[in-house]
Amino acid sequence: MICVEHLTKEYKRFVHKNGAFSSFRNLFNREFEIVKAVDDISFDINNGEMVGFIGPNGAGKSTSIKMLTGILTPTYGKVVIDSINPHKERKLNAKQIGVVFGQKTQLWWDLPVIESLRLLRDIYKVSDIRFKNNMLLFNDMLELYKFQDTPVRQLSLGQRMRADLAAALLHDPKVLFLDEPTIGLDVITKERLRQFIKEINANNNVTVLLTTHDMSDIEKLCSRMIIINYGRIVYDGSVEQIRMQYGKSRILCIEFEDNVPNIKIPYCTLLKSEGKKLWIEFDKNEISSSKIITQMTENYQITDLTIQEPEIEEIVRSIFQDINTNPNGGM
Amino acid sequence: MDTLKIYFRLIILSIKCRTQYRADFITGILNIITLNAVQLGFIGILVNRFTNINKWTIWDMLFLYSLWMLGHSIFAIFFWHLLDMENYIVQGTFDQFFIKPVNIFVQFIGRELQYMGIGDLLIGVVGISIAYVNLKLDWSILKWAFFIVSVVSGSIIEIALMWICASISFWMLRSSTTFAIISQLDSMIQKYPIDIFGTGFRVFITAFIPVAFINYYPSLILLNKTNILDKWSFLAYISPIVSIILLIVATKIWTIGLKLYSSSGN
Amino acid sequence: MKIFWSFSRQAFYNMVMYRFDFWVRRIVLLFVMYGVYCLWNILYTQNAKELEVNLNQIITYGILGVALQASLITAMGPQRYIASQIRMGSIDTDLVKPIDFHLHMLARNFGETAFRFITATIPTLIIGFIFLGFELPCDLFNGFAFAFSIALGYLIQFSLNFILGILAIVSVDIKNISWAYISLVSFFSGDMIPLWLFPTALRSIAEIMPFKCIFYIPISIYIGNFSRIMVIKEVLFQLIWCIVLLLLGRIFWICAYSRIKIQGG
Repeated sequence: MICVEHLTKEYKRFVHKNGAFSSFRNLFNREFEIVKAVDDISFDINNGEMVGFIGPNGAGKSTSIKMLTGILTPTYGKVVIDSINPHKERKLNAKQIGVVFGQKTQLWWDLPVIESLRLLRDIYKVSDIRFKNNMLLFNDMLELYKFQDTPVRQLSLGQRMRADLAAALLHDPKVLFLDEPTIGLDVITKERLRQFIKEINANNNVTVLLTTHDMSDIEKLCSRMIIINYGRIVYDGSVEQIRMQYGKSRILCIEFEDNVPNIKIPYCTLLKSEGKKLWIEFDKNEISSSKIITQMTENYQITDLTIQEPEIEEIVRSIFQDINTNPNGGM
Repeated sequence: MDTLKIYFRLIILSIKCRTQYRADFITGILNIITLNAVQLGFIGILVNRFTNINKWTIWDMLFLYSLWMLGHSIFAIFFWHLLDMENYIVQGTFDQFFIKPVNIFVQFIGRELQYMGIGDLLIGVVGISIAYVNLKLDWSILKWAFFIVSVVSGSIIEIALMWICASISFWMLRSSTTFAIISQLDSMIQKYPIDIFGTGFRVFITAFIPVAFINYYPSLILLNKTNILDKWSFLAYISPIVSIILLIVATKIWTIGLKLYSSSGN
Repeated sequence: MKIFWSFSRQAFYNMVMYRFDFWVRRIVLLFVMYGVYCLWNILYTQNAKELEVNLNQIITYGILGVALQASLITAMGPQRYIASQIRMGSIDTDLVKPIDFHLHMLARNFGETAFRFITATIPTLIIGFIFLGFELPCDLFNGFAFAFSIALGYLIQFSLNFILGILAIVSVDIKNISWAYISLVSFFSGDMIPLWLFPTALRSIAEIMPFKCIFYIPISIYIGNFSRIMVIKEVLFQLIWCIVLLLLGRIFWICAYSRIKIQGG
C-alpha cells in the first residue's frame, strides 16, 4: 500500500551571525547551511497494517508524514501510496487519505462540528448513505452527537480530537495518518480514541500510520513500530521483537514473610528494599526467573512474587543512547 | 466548476458565521465608512481652499475616489483574507489545504470573508451617484458598459497585486507589512489624480506597479478628460488588458510559491 | 531603569529581524514623501495665497509630516500589542511580570519608535533635504522647542493608544473601531494637512482636541509658523494634555487591573 524508497529531505537553514552589530549585518547578507531532516529512509507498509513512528523531537517524524501526505516534496527518493505519488498527484492522493494533526484542527473554527462535516461531505463527494452510516458510527463510538452542534472554538481538546478523527474518516480513506493524536489528552479520552482507531483498522481495513511520543499508544495499538532518530530509521520491526532483543533485564519483586535477608545471587543486582519487599534486577539471558525463585523459596519464606517486564520506554531510550554514542549503529 | 461550487459553499458558511454577531457587523461597517469619510474629508478640505486640484473639481475627485472604492470593495470583501496568509504559514495551518482534494487557493480564500468591505461598497455607490448627478454626466450605453468593465478590471488589478504580495510570504515571512505599505502607497495614488506627479513617477505607476489603471485612467474616459493624456490617450482604454496580464502573473507567482513551500517547508 | 532599556532593546532587535519588509517600507516612504511634495507644489502654483505660508515652509511641513508618521505610528501603538496578546491568550504573562505594565508598554513602544526614527525618519529627511527642499529649522529657539514639542507629542500619542489598549483588556472589541480611530486621529493631528487650512468650524473643534499635539504643533513650530508667544502657548497646551492623558492612562490601568484581579481576566 505504502512504498517508501530512499526518502530524503534536505533544508537550507540560515546561520545567524553573532557579535557586534550582528543585527545590522544580518540586514545585508546571510549565510546558510544544509540540514538533513530525513536521511534515506525506506519501508513498506501493507494494506491494513497499523504502524507506529516514534522518535525524539526533531527526529524527522513530522517531516516524513508531510512527505507522505503531499505537503512536502522529497529532495530525493520515492513515495507511493497505492500507486499514487502524493506530491505529483495531490488531489488524487487527497481522496484516499485522511489526516489528523494533533495540535492543529482542520475544522472551521467558528462553525458547529456538523457544519464542518457536511462541508467535507461535499468536498469529498461522499454519498448520502455513506455519510449517514459514518455519522452513525461516529455517534456510537465517539459520542459525536453530544457536541456536534457546538462551534469548534468551544470544544475541549478531547472533543476536538474526536471531531477531527471523524472529519478524517468521513470519506472512508484507505490510509489514515495520525500526527501526535493523543498529545495533551487525559487517560480516558486516550483509551477511547485508541479503541476507535483499533476498530477502524480492524473492521474497515484502514491502514494506519501514527507518530507519537507516547509509548503506550504504540504498545496498545501497533504491532509494528519504526524508530526514527536524526532522520534515519533506527529500528523497523514488531514491538515484541524489540522487547525480546533489547529487553534483557527483568525485575523480580519478592515479599518476604520476615525481614529481608542478605542475598547474593549471580547475575542479579539488588535494586532496592522497602520494608519486607526486595527488588532484584536480573539478566534473563544469563539466569532464568524460575532458578531464582526456586533458590528463594528453598531458603526463605516468601509471601508474594511479581516479575516486571521492562518498559518499552526504557528500551527505546537505551536504543537512543546506543545510537548517540555510536551514530553508525542501528539495525 | 466543482471548485466554484465548493467555493460558494465555503463563503455561504462564512457569511452564516458572521451574521451571528449583528452588532459587530454594524460597527464594523461604520468603522470603514468613517475611514473613507475622513479620506474624503482630506480631499474636501483641500478643494474647499483651492477650488480644484490641478483642474479636478470636488466632484471629479469624488468620482475618482468612488470608482476606486467600487473595485476595492470587491477585493475587501472577498480577498481581504490574503493578508492572513503569513499567519497560516507561520502557524502551520496552511498545511491542511494540501490534504484536501480542492484547489489550495480556493480553500484558503473561501475560509473567510471580510464583511467590513461592505462599507467601502456603500461609499463607492453613494459617491459615484452624487458625482454623476453633480457632474451632469450622461453616459451612453457604451460608457455604462465601460464603467462596469472598469470597476471589474480595477478590482482585478488590486486583487492581483495583493495576491502577489501574499505570495511573498512563501519567500519571506512578515509580508503583511508589504500589504500595509502597498495600501498606503495605493491610497495616496488612488486618491489624487496622478497628473500632479512628475513624469518619472507616472511611468512607474503605469508600467511597473500599474495602480494608475485601477481608477485614474478609466476615469479619464468616464469624465471626458482624455485630452490630458494627449498622444498617450490609448492608455485610458487598456485597463482590462492590464488586469488580465496582472492576473496571469499573479497565478504564476502563486504556483511557483506553492512549489517553494512544498520544497522548503517552514 | 535597566529593565526599561532591555525591553526597548528587545523591541529594537525584533524589528531588525525582517529584512525585506524593512527595505520595502523605507522605499515606499520615499514615494509617499514625493507624492506629498508634488501635491503642495501644484496647490502652490494654483493659489499661493491660500496656503498662508511660503512654498518651502509648506513642503517642509509635508515632508516632516510624512517622515514623522513613519516613526510615530498611531496604528502600531501599545493597543496593537495588547490586542494580539489577548488574542493569543498570553496577556497574562504581561500582567504577571514584576514590572509596571504602563512603563513596560512605554518602554516597548519607545524602542520601536526609536528604531523607526533612526532608520526611517532621519534618512527620509536627509533625502528630502537633498532633493526636495526640506529646510532646517529657522532658528535655535524653534529647533529646541520642536524637539521638546515632538517628545510631548509622542507621549500624547502613546497615551491615547495606551488607553485604547486598556479598553481592549476590559474586553471592548477595539478591532471594529480601529480604522475609524486611526483615521480620525490622523485627521485632527494635522499630519497631512495643517489645521490652518481647515474650514473655520472644523478648525475650532480641532484646536481644542489633544490630537493636534502629535503633529500639528511640533511641525508648525519647526517651520516657524508660530510666533514666540504662540510657541509657548501651544507647548503649554501640549504639556497639560500630556499630563492629563498620562494620568488618565494610569487611572484606567489601575481600574482595569483591579477588575481583572477580581474577575480573573
